[in-house]
This record gives sequence, structure tokens and C-alpha cells, in this order.
Amino acid sequence: MPQLNPEFFVSQLFWLAVFFTFLFVFLWRVSLPRIAIVLEKRQNKIDKSLSSAKELQEQAMEIEKKINNQINKAKLETDEKIKEIINSLQEDVSSQLSSLDKDLEKKVSDAEKEILKSKDDQMKNINNEIANITKLTIRKITDVELSDNELNKVIEAHKGSYN
Amino acid sequence: MAAKDSPLKQFEIDPISSIELGGYNISFTNSSFSMLITVLVITLFLTLTVNTRSIIPSRMQLISELMYNFIAQLLSDTVGDNGKRYFPFVFSLFMFVLIGNMVGMIPYQFTFTSHIIVTFALAAVVFIGVTILGFINHGIKFFSFFYIPGVPFYMHPLLIPIEVISYLSRPISLSVRLFANMLAGHTLLKVFAGFVVSMPFFTGVFPLAFIVALTGLEILIAFLQAYVFAILTCLYINDAYHLH
Repeated sequence: MPQLNPEFFVSQLFWLAVFFTFLFVFLWRVSLPRIAIVLEKRQNKIDKSLSSAKELQEQAMEIEKKINNQINKAKLETDEKIKEIINSLQEDVSSQLSSLDKDLEKKVSDAEKEILKSKDDQMKNINNEIANITKLTIRKITDVELSDNELNKVIEAHKGSYN
Repeated sequence: MAAKDSPLKQFEIDPISSIELGGYNISFTNSSFSMLITVLVITLFLTLTVNTRSIIPSRMQLISELMYNFIAQLLSDTVGDNGKRYFPFVFSLFMFVLIGNMVGMIPYQFTFTSHIIVTFALAAVVFIGVTILGFINHGIKFFSFFYIPGVPFYMHPLLIPIEVISYLSRPISLSVRLFANMLAGHTLLKVFAGFVVSMPFFTGVFPLAFIVALTGLEILIAFLQAYVFAILTCLYINDAYHLH
């Protein structure tokens, strides 16, 4: 079995010591620190990104809060304005209604006055006509010419009977 | 079977250039060459893949980082915060054994981890280092490691020698485990490779298929043994800190 042949024991131990020592020192001093730096850099980057993401999230929440506040404020303002407008419209409507009422009342009273006036006029006309007809009828029947005064006295005396 | 066809022939050491130092034969051999390839593969891979040092890693860089994190996790799981200072050593050990095993899987390439002297030397470094570490951390109290608390006093004369023997056999078990796995796997591959050639007609296809399957298994074992070597080293380091 070649493994138990001591001829090359020293040679194997010597070269093992040389190569393993070289490997150990090289990895310890060169390769491993490089990998460690890369890993550390990456970890730092990840940590930094995470913290900045957290910061941004906080900022976003702050902004959202502000927006919500503004929306609420705007809602309140809008409600207030709507109320104001409704109130002013109601006032307008009521004032217009009252002025319309006044107008109407005035028109009604004017119309009533006119009606009364025209009734009076008509009554006067009717009275005149009655007087004329009466005058004509009396003249035709009796051949008596009554003066206007006498006639009026007669008509006035009999007004209640045909009114 | 002739000696040149022996399945153990692959483990023979052939000098590439003969060197002698202070009367000792330190020839550069196929085993040394395999170690050189291993060290070159590890250093070049870990250097070139991380060369760009990009935060978003390439696939190759990711492999290096995965290996780094794998061993870092292993150490922190078994030893805790104390383990960080041994990371370069455990990582070197893991990579050296892993890539040594993998280089051995390349046909016609020598497997230096299949030599007990190499694995024993690595295990001895771990054993001696851990023992020194135990004495540094606990001084003379390190011997209490062999004393199991909560056991009836009359059991101690039996248990203490068992504990001492099990402690002293750590480098042997650690080295023989790796050596034996590599030896057995490569021998088996060679035996079945012999069947491919020697079986008549097309029946050689069957052992060939078996070799293909076995190669997959051997690659798994190569990784597993490197992992076992590394995790046991971590556990021994942990023992040097926490005794029981």
C-alpha cells in the first residue's frame, strides 16, 4: 500500500506545509478580506436603502396626513359656503316673495278701486239714462217737460224701490 | 493481476523533480503537484471572482460568497462569537480538503487527501492547536474536560481513561475518516474501471454505468468529507472554549 511507504513522508509533509501555509496566509490576508468588504458593502447598502425607504415611508405618511387634513378642511369650508349660499338664496326668495306680495296687494287694491270707480261711473250713466228715459217717457205720455232738478228729486225718491 | 494494473497503483507517489534538503528527500512529486493545482485553483478562483467587488454579484462571485457564508455560518453556529478569529484557518482547511478531493476526481489526477500522512498532518495541526487553545483559555482546568460531572464517583476511574483515549484519538479518527473515504472510493472506481476493460463484448457497459453513478457519489463524498473535517474542527474549537 503506497500510503504506508515512508519514503515520501517528509516530502509530502514539507510540500503540504508550504502550500497550506501559503494558502492560509493568502486567504487570510487577501481573499477573505476582499469578500468581507464586498459583503459589508452590500449589507451597508441594504441597511441604507432600508433606512431611506423607512424615511420615505414616514414622509409619505406625513404627506398623506396633510392631504387628509386639507381634504377635511376643504369639506368643512365647502359645507360652510353651501350653507351660506342656501341662507342667502332663502333670504332672496323670501324678500322677492314679500315684494311680490306687496305688488299683488297693490294691484288688487288698484283693481278694486278701478272696479268701484267704473261701478260708480256705470251707475251714474245708468242714472242719467234712467233720467233721460224717464224724461222722454213722461213727455211722451203727459207732454210735460220736467226740469232736471225735478226729475232727479223724483228718481232719488224712488231709488230704493228699483235698487 | 500484474502490479501495474493494481487499483492501488494510483496512490503511488512519483517524483517529478528530485530535491534534497538537509539529508531529507523533499522531492516535488505528483502529490505536491496536486497540492499546487489545488492551491492555485482556490487562490485564483477566490481572487478573480471577487475582483470586481460588485455589490450585485456575478454568478462566480456568488459562489465565492456562498462558500464564505457557509463556513462563517458553520463557525458561528458551533463556536459562536469566539469562532470569528479562526475563520481564515477553518475556511482554508475546508477549501484545501474540498478542492483537493475534487481535483482528485479528475481522471489521472493524484488525490493527496488519500494519503494518511497528509490527512494526519492536517488533523494533528487541528488537534495540537485546539489543545494549546484549551490550555490558554482554561489553564490547568483544561484537564477537567476529562471529568464528567454528575456521574457516580466510582465510575470515574473507568470514565476518565476513556475520555482521555477518546480525546487522544481525535486526530486519528479525523485523519483516517478522510483518508479511508478517499482510498475506498478511488479504489472502487479503479476496480470497476478494470471490469470495463476485462469483461467480454459489450457487457463492459454495465460497470461503466456503475462508474458514472459512483463518480457522482464520490463527488458528494468529496464535499461531505471536507464538510465533516471543517465541522469537527469547529466542534473541537468549541470544546476548547466551553469544555463540557
